[in-house]
Amino acid sequence: MTDRDTVELDADLVAALARLVGYPPLDAETAARIAAGAGNAVAAVRATATVPLFDTEPGSYLVELERLADPAA
Amino acid sequence: MIDPARATLVEAAAALVRGELTSEALTRACLERAHRLNPTLNCFLRIEDEAALAAARRADAAHAAGRPLGVLHGVPIAVKDMFYDAARETSSGSAIRRGFRSATTATALARLKAAGAVVLGALNMTEFALGPTGHNPFYGACHNPWNPAHIAGGSSSGSGAAVAARIAFGTLGSDTGGSIRLPAAANGILGLKPTYGRVPRTGAMPLSWSIDHVGPLARTAADLARLLGVLAGHDPGDPTASRRPVPDYEAALGAGIAGLRLGVPRNFFFDDVEPDVRRALDAALAVLEGAGARCVEVVVPAAEQLTELGRTVVYAEASALHGHWLRTRPQDYSPQVRARVATGVAIPAAAYAEALQLRAVLLRAFCEQVLGRCDVLLTPALAIDVPTLAATDVGGSASMWATIAQLLKCVAPFNYLGVPALSLPVGFTPRGLPAALQLVARPFAEATLLGAAAAYQRLTHWHERLPPVH
Repeated sequence: MTDRDTVELDADLVAALARLVGYPPLDAETAARIAAGAGNAVAAVRATATVPLFDTEPGSYLVELERLADPAA
Repeated sequence: MIDPARATLVEAAAALVRGELTSEALTRACLERAHRLNPTLNCFLRIEDEAALAAARRADAAHAAGRPLGVLHGVPIAVKDMFYDAARETSSGSAIRRGFRSATTATALARLKAAGAVVLGALNMTEFALGPTGHNPFYGACHNPWNPAHIAGGSSSGSGAAVAARIAFGTLGSDTGGSIRLPAAANGILGLKPTYGRVPRTGAMPLSWSIDHVGPLARTAADLARLLGVLAGHDPGDPTASRRPVPDYEAALGAGIAGLRLGVPRNFFFDDVEPDVRRALDAALAVLEGAGARCVEVVVPAAEQLTELGRTVVYAEASALHGHWLRTRPQDYSPQVRARVATGVAIPAAAYAEALQLRAVLLRAFCEQVLGRCDVLLTPALAIDVPTLAATDVGGSASMWATIAQLLKCVAPFNYLGVPALSLPVGFTPRGLPAALQLVARPFAEATLLGAAAAYQRLTHWHERLPPVH
């Protein structure tokens, strides 16, 4: 296991980010829930982003939906 | 006169066109059921007698005058209380939007009305369409007609319960993580999340503009096909709405499934299915194979990550949509919904953008590796027996994420991919609660899903069974 695998969001960081965007203070429980939820989400991105996206056209998703409607695509 | 408890939407529409009954009589019968059953189910936030009867009388006058009739002429339906209507308030199941009235009407709702549908009222839902159980601290939980101690699913909780209890012939829902398919599964009816962009989102309360879908719930595949034919099609108000022509979905219903390749995933989706649910799913699979379909094993790429990738997008966008209220009215959210809409504050912009960029890559992989080998992917819609309201009343507690994940495990992945997915009831568990399969197809192949569901319903009778509360 590497350091990257063990990085977790903690409630204090979430509370700081919330203050940064102007939210009223979060209670510790809410901050902990947010930390867990956001941590899981970002971990999934990290685990899946194993290919370069440099040449992926922004907005290509809608084009792909239309293109892949044709079974021959 | 036709019995609302027995007739399907298509049957009711045909009887109305033939003049065998009036819309006013049918609407009165449905309203009577709504008033009688709502104290038990709490599926309606508002039952709109006057507006519904006025619409029904207009429909009857059009029929009497020989004017052209829409395909939903005079048919009573109901809508989740998040489709804006210039004629009435829309609460979005929230305290914050209580009494809100939009200047415009949602395209989906306007299309249903233009096709002749009579709207009975506004349906209960989870606060801001964010929650899979149907709990709502402001308006009360919605209850399941098969057993009111159990959840109706969410977030389109009332949309599921009202159809199952035979109050409405069809309903309108939204689906950002399973919110049409889960209530359909829990209530033993069908629910269709169409392809992203197939039904315009214009005027529907937004939760996540990249992931939100609008779609119908009903009791039969034919009813769903009728509703989707009305709802689908381009709308200049929604820049993501497809310009692709709308096929005749009803024409595809009789095609049969001989030779249809059914993909059964080897990974993820069947890992934790409860034995009673599994038995119902296996029996359904046998019915489909008996009708000529054949099963192939497939592996769904990145299956374990799809839901969280979708959440990365949903929470980032939801935080943007709710930012003003999170700063000024945080106390007006329930604890769970406040935590969930605020989760975007801890999603790095880089992760949000990467999740959006990955979407096309993973959609391509899914279509090549799964739908290159099969025509329809089969998964459970809900891997567990429909739980009780008490067991899932977790609020903003530490078990919040686990409860949500368990309920949405099989349905949420397809919101991120944006492919069409249909929840099909396939029987009951020993506790008398519905079990459901999910059918998934390539983009814009809703007709394939509806055809497979229709073939199954021709061979089975689950959809004719009445719930104890009806």
